[in-house]
Amino acid sequence: MSAVIKIENLTKIYKLSKRREVTGLLNFNLEVEEGEIFGLLGPNGSGKTTLLKIMLGLISPTKGKVEILGKRMDNVEVKKDIGFLPENPYYYEYLTGSELLDFYGDIFDLPENVKRRRSQELLSTVGLAKVKHMVLRNYSKGMLERIGLACALLNNPKLLILDEPTTGLDPIGGRETRDLLLGLKKEGKTILLSSHFLSEVERICDRIGILDQGRLLAVGRLKELLKERKVETFEDLFIKIVKNNV
Amino acid sequence: MYKPAVIAKNSFKELLRKKGLQVLLVFGLILIGSSRLFSFLTPGEEMKMIKDVGLSTIEFFGALIVIFGAIGALSSEVEKKTLYTLLAKPLKRRDFVLGKFLGLSLATLLNFLLMAIFFIGLLLFKEHTVSSGIFKALILILFELFLIAAIALAVSTFASPAFTMIFSLFLYLVGHLIGYGHSLMEQTESALLKAAGTLFYRIIPNFENFNIRDKVAVDIFVRWNYLVKTIGYSLIYIAVALLIGIYFFQKREI
Ligand SMILES: Nc1ncnc2c1ncn2[C@@H]1O[C@H](COP(=O)(O)OP(=O)(O)OP(=O)(O)O)[C@@H](O)[C@H]1O
Ligand SMILES: [Mg+2]
Repeated sequence: MSAVIKIENLTKIYKLSKRREVTGLLNFNLEVEEGEIFGLLGPNGSGKTTLLKIMLGLISPTKGKVEILGKRMDNVEVKKDIGFLPENPYYYEYLTGSELLDFYGDIFDLPENVKRRRSQELLSTVGLAKVKHMVLRNYSKGMLERIGLACALLNNPKLLILDEPTTGLDPIGGRETRDLLLGLKKEGKTILLSSHFLSEVERICDRIGILDQGRLLAVGRLKELLKERKVETFEDLFIKIVKNNV
Repeated sequence: MYKPAVIAKNSFKELLRKKGLQVLLVFGLILIGSSRLFSFLTPGEEMKMIKDVGLSTIEFFGALIVIFGAIGALSSEVEKKTLYTLLAKPLKRRDFVLGKFLGLSLATLLNFLLMAIFFIGLLLFKEHTVSSGIFKALILILFELFLIAAIALAVSTFASPAFTMIFSLFLYLVGHLIGYGHSLMEQTESALLKAAGTLFYRIIPNFENFNIRDKVAVDIFVRWNYLVKTIGYSLIYIAVALLIGIYFFQKREI
């Protein structure tokens, strides 16, 4: 097994003005192996989104380095193999669902027939086949989340990066998404996701990392972490780790 | 497909579906049409007015549409966070900016053609002929609009939408007045003021170069040579503006 994600000493300081700074991430180290589902947890503002954004080259780190699939992130070609779902995804509201997939397919340079076939498949996978000709302005929050997932899978990525993939979904959608992710794992894909749902993370993630104030406070398999910290439940573990960090 | 073309196609779609810009276009058309109100003038003067007002309207409303379009082109993607998803894909930021410029230029061309065809139709209706001067004036206006598009887009890569709008409108005004300003500066005694004036004059594009409507309205001949030179002038400015835009956009935190 080889590391799909390799993060070394990553630090992000947001400069608000000359004097005011906010720490987004501090000396963050992480390796995620191929075929793993890794769950990022942490209170609001702990740096989860910051980490994912740096990994995708949307913002630049103050310090440190990120390697994905053996390549540095300033190499745009890596992104051919990454699927990304941002938190609260929002898309071009003047496009229809299938127009959106078509547009992203062109950005990925997919051949016309592949693009069409995958769009059709994915639209039914995420349960949007019926509304594919409706403009996104009229989609509900959960429907946007679903089309976002379809977009993230369009290029058949080796690595999936998902920022709170099930936050806006109904219970059925949440279950479907979890099953979908487990299926993708079986295909050998690597998944990094952030979430606030402990039960969800518990059910699908191989390893977890707990973040607070930009620092990675704990990382490993849930069972081992519970034993290590001498707590019974995931919730207790989370609260203990975050409370101890103040 | 060439990546900037993919972006261009999408932003062209967006611009066409924008209500505000359509309203501006309708106003422009009404104004061009209303130049017929000058029929109380003698026939010769009436034609002169129609040409002058028509060309001025195409230029002014064209500029407004371009500036508003350019502001939205980037900021709507930033505000609505559609950029997150887009730039997480294999798309160079350079290609994104180029694509936005192409899409904006395409929408500008379409708006321009609608107004120009309406204007030419009006002239044909009145005079049964259109002089080559009119076409030359229109071509120069089109390149002026492309230039404004590039500048407004470049500014919007690092500035807020409000700043971009104010700056672009300001530049549009100053760029038209700069000829006068320069001749005023020539007369000052202060060397510093003179140097500053000359520097300004060299940096800010002189939009009056694109204005030949005074000549065209009274049928003074403008050489093709002048057109080629002025178009070259605009292309240089466009290239520089785009380079600046790409430079800032590459550093931008999304
Ligand atoms: N663009 C920005 N400018 C300044 N500070 C920012 C910016 N983005 C994030 N931050 C700060 O960085 C810290 C981490 O934010 P981040 O969005 O990464 O948190 P998060 O873990 O994703 O939170 P949530 O669970 O609410 O999504 C917060 O303190 C936040 O205020
Ligand atoms: Mg977040």
